[in-house]
Amino acid sequence: MKKTSIDLILNEHRAFESVLTALREFVDGIAAGRYTADFGLLAAMIEYVTEVPEQVHHHKEDEYLFARLRLRAPDAGPLIDELMRQHARGPKLTAALERALIHYRNAEKAGLDAFHNKVNEYVDFQWQHILKEERELLPLAQERLLADDWAIIDAAFLTNHNPWRGVEDEYAALFERIVSLAPAPIGLGGSSANQGFRTAD
Amino acid sequence: MLKVHDLRAGYGKSEVLRGISFEVNRGEVVTIVGVNGAGKSTTLKTLCGVVRAQSGRITFDGADISNRPANEIVERGLTMIPEGRQLFPFLTVKDNLLMGAYKKAARSTVAKRYEEVLEMFPRVRERLAQHAGSLSGGEQQMVAIARGMMASPKLLIFDEPSLGLSPLLVEMMFEIIEKITAQGITVLIVEQNVFHTLKLADRGYVLENGEISLSGTGQELLDSDHVRRAYLGM
Repeated sequence: MKKTSIDLILNEHRAFESVLTALREFVDGIAAGRYTADFGLLAAMIEYVTEVPEQVHHHKEDEYLFARLRLRAPDAGPLIDELMRQHARGPKLTAALERALIHYRNAEKAGLDAFHNKVNEYVDFQWQHILKEERELLPLAQERLLADDWAIIDAAFLTNHNPWRGVEDEYAALFERIVSLAPAPIGLGGSSANQGFRTAD
Repeated sequence: MLKVHDLRAGYGKSEVLRGISFEVNRGEVVTIVGVNGAGKSTTLKTLCGVVRAQSGRITFDGADISNRPANEIVERGLTMIPEGRQLFPFLTVKDNLLMGAYKKAARSTVAKRYEEVLEMFPRVRERLAQHAGSLSGGEQQMVAIARGMMASPKLLIFDEPSLGLSPLLVEMMFEIIEKITAQGITVLIVEQNVFHTLKLADRGYVLENGEISLSGTGQELLDSDHVRRAYLGM
């Protein structure tokens, strides 16, 4: 029983990581001249990493997993506080990403370096956050939480039947758009030849 | 539907499979997971008649198919989507799909099946006139799955469907496989991507050094300390 929620959390992490990896590879590729900048795709990726963790994932961790663990393991308080601070920092970083994307779009190549830096900062931050949860918090939760705790946590996490579609499939079209636009081999999009800028639809 | 009993197979004097037994029941999604060299691909090749069984028995729908020719096995309704896609690169996507319906049993319904498959894979429809070799890896994998579906298989076997794909495309690929299983098609998946596969599977087998070391439901295997340590790094 207790592993159901953990598997769902890992599932959601893997789905989120797939978009993080795609974002980083795409922007690295633009900077290296392998890919053409596609602002529609970049906007879709940023919308995904802004919306899905906040709407689907973090609140369940905060309200259920973290809350129950804080009760059962008072010594985990500092770790939980840090992870919650990171949850709160995420939207600030994605807002900065959005601003950097606007600047990049307006300034074109002159804005690429700043945008690239913001992407790297954001992806590094999220990777470290995910690793901290998986290496420190989840093992502790497995050790300390009781069956009653897991029943409550499972009920919350099981509302999301698919890790990247959202509870009501509200993010399915967004994810499919990212897969469809991202150039191969990242996604199913067309040629990766850099032939200048492509604007959003 | 598929029963494998005490199967031994290999290459020359090298024995890769050391008496494995497993079964796939109608409507199930079953997975065989294991690391490189465990014997996963050899298992599939032996099922499909590409590698000879040295001993043991394979039955499909009650008939003994051990060491039967590959074309006969395909006619019986067992279709494999091979590792690395194995499309015909200089044929168009359309011709690759039609090759999937080459078996006698599928020829009479090919037009209907073609439309059904394209309904499932709208992206493939957009690429019908292109040479398969000009497609990206993700698109080729979709065509390979669509080609497998053209045979109206009773049992669809996937050999490492996520191999070489980006994390984004791996997510998409498992979504497609989930849609196929939702149609009630019996599926056997061989994968190194243990986490995704066990989430999808009704049952699974862990293959290690040519032997089945563990079996259970997908969730039981995900919960297994051995699987979590050896395959999920937890």
